[in-house]
Amino acid sequence: MKRFLRRQRALADYTLAALARRRVKNISLVAIFALVVFVVASAMLFSTALRHEAEATLEGAPELIVQNLVMGRHDMIEGSVAETLAGIRGVTRAEGRLWGYFYDSVNGANYTLMVPRDPGLVPGPGEAIIGEGIPRVREMGWDSAPLFLSRHPGDLVRFDVAERISSQAALVSADLILIGEDDFRSFFDLPQGVYTDIAVSIRNPREIDTIVDKAGALLPAARFITRDEIIRTYRKLFSWREGIMVALAGAAILAFAIFAAEKASGLSAEEAREIGILKAIGWDMTDVIAMKLWEGALVSVGAFLLGTVAAYLHVFLLDAGLFAPILKGWSVIYPDFALTPMIDGVQLTALFFLTVAPYVAATLVPIWRTAAADPDEVIR
Amino acid sequence: MRPRVYRRSDMAFGLIALGLAALALAGGHAALSRGASQARLAETAALVRAAGLTDLALFTEARYTRNPAMADLHTAFQDNPMAFEHFPSGTFAPRPASFGAGALGFDPAEVAR
Amino acid sequence: MICLETVTKLYNEGRPGEVRALNEVSLEIARDAVTVFKGPSGSGKTTLLSIVGCMTRPTSGRVSVDGHMVSGLPEKFLTAERRSTFGFVFQRFNLIRGLTVLENVMLPAAPLAGDPRKVAEAALARLAGLGLADKADTPVEHLSGGETQRAAIARALINDAKVLIADEPTANLDTELTHRFLDIVDELRGEGRTVIMTSHDPRIWESALVNDVVEMQDGRVTGAGA
Repeated sequence: MKRFLRRQRALADYTLAALARRRVKNISLVAIFALVVFVVASAMLFSTALRHEAEATLEGAPELIVQNLVMGRHDMIEGSVAETLAGIRGVTRAEGRLWGYFYDSVNGANYTLMVPRDPGLVPGPGEAIIGEGIPRVREMGWDSAPLFLSRHPGDLVRFDVAERISSQAALVSADLILIGEDDFRSFFDLPQGVYTDIAVSIRNPREIDTIVDKAGALLPAARFITRDEIIRTYRKLFSWREGIMVALAGAAILAFAIFAAEKASGLSAEEAREIGILKAIGWDMTDVIAMKLWEGALVSVGAFLLGTVAAYLHVFLLDAGLFAPILKGWSVIYPDFALTPMIDGVQLTALFFLTVAPYVAATLVPIWRTAAADPDEVIR
Repeated sequence: MRPRVYRRSDMAFGLIALGLAALALAGGHAALSRGASQARLAETAALVRAAGLTDLALFTEARYTRNPAMADLHTAFQDNPMAFEHFPSGTFAPRPASFGAGALGFDPAEVAR
Repeated sequence: MICLETVTKLYNEGRPGEVRALNEVSLEIARDAVTVFKGPSGSGKTTLLSIVGCMTRPTSGRVSVDGHMVSGLPEKFLTAERRSTFGFVFQRFNLIRGLTVLENVMLPAAPLAGDPRKVAEAALARLAGLGLADKADTPVEHLSGGETQRAAIARALINDAKVLIADEPTANLDTELTHRFLDIVDELRGEGRTVIMTSHDPRIWESALVNDVVEMQDGRVTGAGA
């Protein structure tokens, strides 16, 4: 074993000396390789953490949401539907939800106004509980600054801020304005008895599908969204099969393929002679191959470690700052959130093999024949 | 005679070992942070339950990006059927799992009949 | 100690441009002797050197070293034989650029996994014996012709080879360096090694140190003698 280690170290010494001859080129190669790994690993860590966050917090969503669809479009729903639903066995509670969007022309931001389900959370008349993003974009300097909203030129509605929601919950509440029902209906000029949708609480989660079937029979034109479907929607968030992530994955695979192809593209005359010399002075085929494998392994493993560690620091210590502009898009409010640090071992292993295996394999392709040949033929 | 020879592999293996240590440290950090984040997640889930929320407030650009789980088929095409994508986050906000029976679908059995 | 029986070597066998470098050569090379292969370009002397030193396998015929057959050996075993018996000095010396003299000298020992300190000591001792101790950490690109040659000899001997093989060792050297080279050959013979060389240079094959001169022409041995 000791001999084996000694031999490997000696071969690695040689390979590093050979790499050092083109120091700048090889360091750039490792740097660019590491950069590609960094981008992919960052995306991976970020999306895994965000999906985890979504699943953990949306466990508290209502078991069933019932929407009224008119011409395929989500329309207001009658409050009487809630009574119909409450009558189904297994339903503990069914009540209308009131929520909607408000476009603030002052700064171009969209707010979500909502009447909370829990009466304990409903603020008093003329009061609002606001998410952490709103004081930021409205530059509300002091804690008790009121919120003014203008629905059209000449209009001004005032809300006293009862509470600012902690930024711990920013990911679900950054743009939220919670107000009482009367304030909501007067703000949006909504008549009594209509709601945005109906939230249904079901005692036994395993009965949800049966209840959906029964409700579907009672309300054929309605759309039913279960909590399970909500969570499934968020499982597709940043999934590798969707949207921009496919482009990213494709680009990364292409980059790794290019690195490997460049490596496999053939032996320069000088490299071939060098292998011939090594064989002539007493290295056999396995020595030459081992030495080349060290070259591939040191470069790709080094790039992998560099990229992955940098990605972890970027996502969890710097809050994925590089992605923020992309995710923000044209939003004015972007939640100031922290993510739970977590590493998905399976994905990381997959990335490792994608990074290292093709590159190391590619180092063997051009040298195999030369390593096997008699040195005499190579040196001539 | 010098007994010690400078070996390049010392530095290279040292750096690799450093990288592995850093990775292990990251794993440890993730494991240790789990406890602290439990509290935060619980607080957020409590707010979700109390207010009756259904979505993350991640993409506040447009209706179908702000509440992707609630989005209907219509809003994405509200202005013009050919204007497929207005908003950058629309390219990665997920689609809801289903648009419901009241959407543009029909029952194939009915058509056969 | 090295026996060749009707050895033929073809390059590019079966293809256009086929070259018959050696044609049914039979030869015996004595141990503890200095042998020189001489002949014009294209006579096959370099090929003969390669065959003798187990650098390449003959197309037909047999080669044996110290009684055991090497011509039929697979690559791995041939390398093992080459590594333990022969040390090579090439015509263009072929030191590896980017490495120091010491690193080059230690290179043949790398696969043998000896104690690196002991190998380094042996390398430095050999370099000192050849007057290169102060150049141990110099990159080989900075050496003069004579220094390069001596470094190449040191490399050839790091594994304590019994046979030193040199292809045109004095081709690029002046008279004084040629004499110094012959002094080194004398020392090596004194250490009990066998030396086999090719050379164009009359100063080599007419030297008193040389025991055997093998004349070659068109891939055949035309004369042998001291």
